Amino acid sequence: MDLNLTIQIKNLTFRNPVTVASGTFGTSGEYAGFLDYEKLGAIIAKTITLRPRQGNSMPRICETSGGMLNAIGLQNKGLEDFIQKKIPYFAKINTPLIANIAGEKTGEFRELARALDQRKDVVKAIELNLSCPNIEEGGASFMRKRELIIEVMKAVRGETDLPVIAKLSPELGDVVAIAGEVIQAGADALSLINTLKGMAIDIERRKPRLANITGGLSGPAIKPVALRYVYEVKKAYKVPVIASGGIMTASDALEFLIAGADLVAVGTANFVNPRATIDILDGIVDYCRKNKIKHIDELRGSLKVERNEK
Amino acid sequence: MTDEWVKIINNEKVNGKYYKLVFHSESLSEKVSPGQFVQILLNASLDPFLRRPFSYYRVRGSRIEILYEILGRGTALLAKKKKGDPLKMMGPLGRPFTQSLKAGKNRVLIAGGVGVPPLVFLAEKIPVDFLLIGTKSKDEILPKKELARVKAEVLYSTNDGSYGAKGYVTVLLRELLKKERPENLFIQTCGPAPMMQAVFNAARARGIEGEASIDKPMACGVGACLGCMVKTKTGWAASCTEGPVFRFDEMREWG
Repeated sequence: MDLNLTIQIKNLTFRNPVTVASGTFGTSGEYAGFLDYEKLGAIIAKTITLRPRQGNSMPRICETSGGMLNAIGLQNKGLEDFIQKKIPYFAKINTPLIANIAGEKTGEFRELARALDQRKDVVKAIELNLSCPNIEEGGASFMRKRELIIEVMKAVRGETDLPVIAKLSPELGDVVAIAGEVIQAGADALSLINTLKGMAIDIERRKPRLANITGGLSGPAIKPVALRYVYEVKKAYKVPVIASGGIMTASDALEFLIAGADLVAVGTANFVNPRATIDILDGIVDYCRKNKIKHIDELRGSLKVERNEK
Repeated sequence: MTDEWVKIINNEKVNGKYYKLVFHSESLSEKVSPGQFVQILLNASLDPFLRRPFSYYRVRGSRIEILYEILGRGTALLAKKKKGDPLKMMGPLGRPFTQSLKAGKNRVLIAGGVGVPPLVFLAEKIPVDFLLIGTKSKDEILPKKELARVKAEVLYSTNDGSYGAKGYVTVLLRELLKKERPENLFIQTCGPAPMMQAVFNAARARGIEGEASIDKPMACGVGACLGCMVKTKTGWAASCTEGPVFRFDEMREWG
């Protein structure tokens, strides 16, 4: 039986719905020893900023019940290094590369988008990190301000006709409302959700377990929250959604697809199982075969809701 | 590099401190050097959530031994595993200890706690002049047969003085430095952070070359998450892929 798993965002086609969440799959071939990158639907690279960033102090990570906290602080080698060293790696791989960008000012997003637009040969879409919980400039998180998110979205839109994906976090407030605003401002797709801000304390030392005090919570602990937002946003708008948040297994990924997700981004699971993406893809295929699904569209958004909507 | 389920052959206490885990794997035992490690997943239930890094202790053919002590919840759960139980192992990972030295250098290994296994592994593999081991007390000293293949002068220190010299392992190092010329020494150390910091500072003060295996809380093990960073002269370096072994001259300061 032929099974069609392809998904479309704007003019970009993905061979299947399985991708990786930014920051969990490295910047080039970190997982190449464990899997064939050409089996994936897309690869979303770790966030890059205009200039290199050192990132936060140690400790940066901490295990929690059903997940982990991280406060890496967007450590990366910057745009120039990405273009010189990372793009050549992905040029050889026949899987769409989605670059993820972040900035402290709108102008930085603009400059990043402009530069990446010049490398359309390899960079097939741009994801905007509008929600990293570990970046605090001048006391108040820049991206908390909704109007600035919209400003960034419009600025990037003005620089490129590549598909632009806005990555949002519940930390920003009313996700469904903000989703509507970024779609209005020109987003082609949304990534839901980024990590949730949390903390952990070492009771013996009475110190926070992360040097940054707080960090982003990821893993199975946040999956129900992510699922809810994917469901609500897909119900409200006709917009492609890349779902992420605690996807560890094929069954997790299927929940998101049934809720309406277009792609599923495997994140923290990569740290636990380097072949998580492939295991999840195989599981999705098995499920489709078992349920006589011929096209992933038959599965997407197929949630049966029987209660009365108020 | 591989990630596979293995079956435990043996998992028993060897003394007051260490447990020894034994299993077989063709791929995990191939091209392993002392200082490298495996990332162990205790079970498929996602609890504990993250994998745990462990140094290789001994590799003979496809037989692999891991020597560990109970330091937290993960190792406590590992100690409860029985013969026949499955574990998922990813490895070999990391940059190993340097094996070839300039002629005339005396190799000094300084170990404590979790640092004993990889350094005993190294001392079994290549000629070593001195192996200094620091522990809390006599019941933590490895049984003699565990060191049977080590051809080095092995010196012990215990915090309570119940075996060997009394005090920290740096007591042994200070004694050694009275007899040896610093430029003739090459130190390789692994153990608790305060111990390695003391060794590092002593070496730096005398211009002694060497390297330290530095572990940090780790998630991915492949350089993707950037959680396990070590401060070097050129910025942060991932302990899992750029280390865990770092040369003293690569580090600006300890840690």
